[in-house]
Amino acid sequence: MLHDLFFRLRTLFRRPTAESELDDELRFHLERQIAKYVKSGMSGEKATRRARLEFGGIDQVKDECRDARGISFVETLVQDARYAARTLLRSPVFTACAVLTLALGIGANTAIFSVVNSVLLNPLPYPDPQALLAVRQNDSRPNLKDIQRQTSSFASSGGVNVAPMDFTGTGEPMRVHAAYVDAGLLQTLGVQPMLGRWISDNEDVKGGPRNVVVSYPFWRDFLGSDPHVLGKAIRLSGNSYTVIGVMPSDFSLPRELADVFVSLWVAYPGEAPDRSVHSMHTYWRLKPGVTLTQAQAEIAQVDRRLSEQFPETEQERGTVLIPLHDYLVGNLRPALLILFGAVGLVLLIACANFAMLLMARAVARQRELMIRASLGAKNSRLIRQRLTESTLLALVGGAVGLLVAKLGTMFLLALKPAALHRFHAIPIDARVFAFVFSTSLLTGLLFGLLPAWSASRSDIAEALRANQRATGIEVSRSLLRSVLITAEVALALVLLAGSGLLIKGFLRLRSVNPGFNPANVMTIYLQLPPTRYLQFQLQTNFRRELLARINALPGVEAAMITDIPLSGNFVDHRVVFDGRPTPAVGTEPEVQTLSVMGDYFRVMQIPIRAGRDFLPTDREGQPLVAVVNEAFVRQHLPGQNPIGLRIDWTNEPHKWMTIVGVAADVKYSGLNQPVDPAVYAPFSQNDEAWRRWMTLVIKTRAPIAGLVEDVKKQVWNMDSQIPVSDIQSMDDLLTVSVAQQRFNMLLLGIFAALAVALAGVGIYGMMAYRVNQRTHEIGVYIALGAQNRDVLRLVMKDGARLALLGIALGLAGAIALTRVMVSLLFEVTPTDPPTLIGVALLLAAVALLACYIPARRALSIHPMTALRCE
Amino acid sequence: MSSRSIDLPQGTLDLLILRTLSLEPLHGWAVSERIQQISSDVLCVQQGSLYPALHRLERRGWIKARWGTSENNRKAKFYELTKAGRRQLEIERDAWEKLTAAVSQILETA
Repeated sequence: MLHDLFFRLRTLFRRPTAESELDDELRFHLERQIAKYVKSGMSGEKATRRARLEFGGIDQVKDECRDARGISFVETLVQDARYAARTLLRSPVFTACAVLTLALGIGANTAIFSVVNSVLLNPLPYPDPQALLAVRQNDSRPNLKDIQRQTSSFASSGGVNVAPMDFTGTGEPMRVHAAYVDAGLLQTLGVQPMLGRWISDNEDVKGGPRNVVVSYPFWRDFLGSDPHVLGKAIRLSGNSYTVIGVMPSDFSLPRELADVFVSLWVAYPGEAPDRSVHSMHTYWRLKPGVTLTQAQAEIAQVDRRLSEQFPETEQERGTVLIPLHDYLVGNLRPALLILFGAVGLVLLIACANFAMLLMARAVARQRELMIRASLGAKNSRLIRQRLTESTLLALVGGAVGLLVAKLGTMFLLALKPAALHRFHAIPIDARVFAFVFSTSLLTGLLFGLLPAWSASRSDIAEALRANQRATGIEVSRSLLRSVLITAEVALALVLLAGSGLLIKGFLRLRSVNPGFNPANVMTIYLQLPPTRYLQFQLQTNFRRELLARINALPGVEAAMITDIPLSGNFVDHRVVFDGRPTPAVGTEPEVQTLSVMGDYFRVMQIPIRAGRDFLPTDREGQPLVAVVNEAFVRQHLPGQNPIGLRIDWTNEPHKWMTIVGVAADVKYSGLNQPVDPAVYAPFSQNDEAWRRWMTLVIKTRAPIAGLVEDVKKQVWNMDSQIPVSDIQSMDDLLTVSVAQQRFNMLLLGIFAALAVALAGVGIYGMMAYRVNQRTHEIGVYIALGAQNRDVLRLVMKDGARLALLGIALGLAGAIALTRVMVSLLFEVTPTDPPTLIGVALLLAAVALLACYIPARRALSIHPMTALRCE
Repeated sequence: MSSRSIDLPQGTLDLLILRTLSLEPLHGWAVSERIQQISSDVLCVQQGSLYPALHRLERRGWIKARWGTSENNRKAKFYELTKAGRRQLEIERDAWEKLTAAVSQILETA
């Protein structure tokens, strides 16, 4: 087998030599034969004739020798390809149509495939990524250490919590993302710093040195890519840190971006040893040979011990280990696979059109093929030639498709879906190339074979004889064409149904009342540096003063809250009720807690349903008050008047807050998420000095130019070291919160539009072809006095019937297939009747239009021309 | 072409070529001469089919070709048997003997 291949290749590359050798060999034979006859007494002339006669046709022998050597396969291929290229160039319109159709289909597929490839198929950028595990719940450093000590399944483990830090000393104060880590993190991820070293175990202790490892972008942008940066000091949140390392440029944490890495112990000596502060994402690396199940069993035991030992805070432990890759992409998989499936349907439709184009072309070239057949071209050779042509077309289509894909991925990234937030660019790598190449090749062969086979199967001689139209070829082709059209319409309907459902779900989602009015609300996040605002009263003074200054700006109403809706952040506290038996420690219900200052509810236009809003008099030194949301009342105080009741966190002794009002529900975690119970309390009364952050919400009657600059000036007039960088309008936040749904909807919508357009073109092409074929018949019909209406009906009947059949099949398919989309839909059932009926009508309209345009042409047929054209 | 000669049965040409070449390397013309001679002019090789067969055997790796000088001092392409060819010769010879034995048995007894 191998020998055979080498032999063929050698013959191919040594072709000129092989040819001349063959000549020499056969000439030698003839000369010897002639010499033999001459020797036996023949005349030279006679001997030559005899030898030639015996030998047979020299060219034929040579041909057979070439066949025997196996040259022919490759050579014919080259020949066929050259021939195909020539004929394709001669009909540029056909070629352009076919290439464009396939380029759209293959391009869209490639774009989505490159996303699937980047997100789902590419391994994580860490060595030996299969051994990496994540945990859905955050944990505290003491728990992490206890688990490390009490288990033997893990080679290493580490935790990280990303939170803002202020970077000062170079120009404007900057907020940077700081990763508060423990020393084991980097070893677990298996990465080494590019320069210097990582934080060592004996530095990751209470009172350890203030060392920092910086990210590559931070090093490049703020430290000037200084190769001698190690040992230099930078100021972070008011403290001086020594740079000991720089991370490589391609490093990032699994879940978030971080600019600087510091030891949690060193930066937060107060928080780090607190078992109840579950703030760290933890990552685990399995020892070789240990299975996930074993590790899970071991960690469950430690969990049990911890919850017995520390019931107040660790009661509800339930650490679940998940492979890191699954954890990161698990929730993206359904959406991406559905999009991939959808775009596959688009390709099928494009292929059906491609096949029909090829068939139409075959009809146009029938005479040429017949002549070649009658000149002795073998049937298999003719099929092969046409396959070469369709494959060539498909490969060119694939190449153009790559271009489409490149543009497509740029477009996808511009949509900024959550799925792609880790990616700055979607690479088109070897796997994508392989995908395009194999898709194109398969398309060309499979969908080229269909029409090629249907054309050559029938008896050519019969076709030659019968020049009329309804030959056997025509019947089988027309059947194939009908099947293709029906399939196209059905597939397009499935896609339309899917995108219709997504659109409806998205509209429902956008029409959800977020509970506040986002119009003209600007939000600005601030954080007070711990060094200068350690005391709670200093924080309160700063807030009060800043709010007064901003409210003094013209046309502005401002308030403050710890965490704004849809930001993805909030703090949970356990709550107890005055006058109720205290539940077992660690089982008290958890609620969101939000600190506010100023007229927050009025600025955000959150209605107060009962009781009153906070007043300026609700401040330090006054009775503690709280406003709860409706969900709180529904869940914890059903049927009671909440006003006047007293609640508290699990303080000892209790500091009861009196509920003075009930605010309307606000969607905190997302428009498609339920509302959790929440408690609002005044900033000035909560006495939680660790809540050093706040978000200004500023409402203006109309957008004010320079507002942000004015606010920055006010902040920096009070403290020039506070960064002001997270600035977002509430409208943007709303948009971002539905970006993934928008992405899904837009993409599936585009695919559906593409599918409908392709199916429409397919129907149009078929109808135009039919009208052309039936010119004679229609002419007779008109000559016999048929009215326009009759002609239209005659012509459109076929197309309409196929379209309706396709729609019916598509509806059945949609009902079967849209079920997989449940997880992507918001308040829409996958078989939503109005949507299905709507898309069916839409597609029917498109199909009728596609039939009507060519049918109109039939009306203009003049009977005389039609009769004459035979 | 002698009137006594008969055409080769299907599929025996390969066997005869292999056998002929197993004695010594030969060029194409000599192969056809040798077959004719040894069979006392009974078997006649169609010269048109000899060369495709030689090329086919070469492709299979059973014979290999080398350019050399012929007995009349001309450049000629010589074919010789490879190891794989020798094995193939045994296989085909075996099959042939079984076939002829079976055929003659039928002819004699039936």
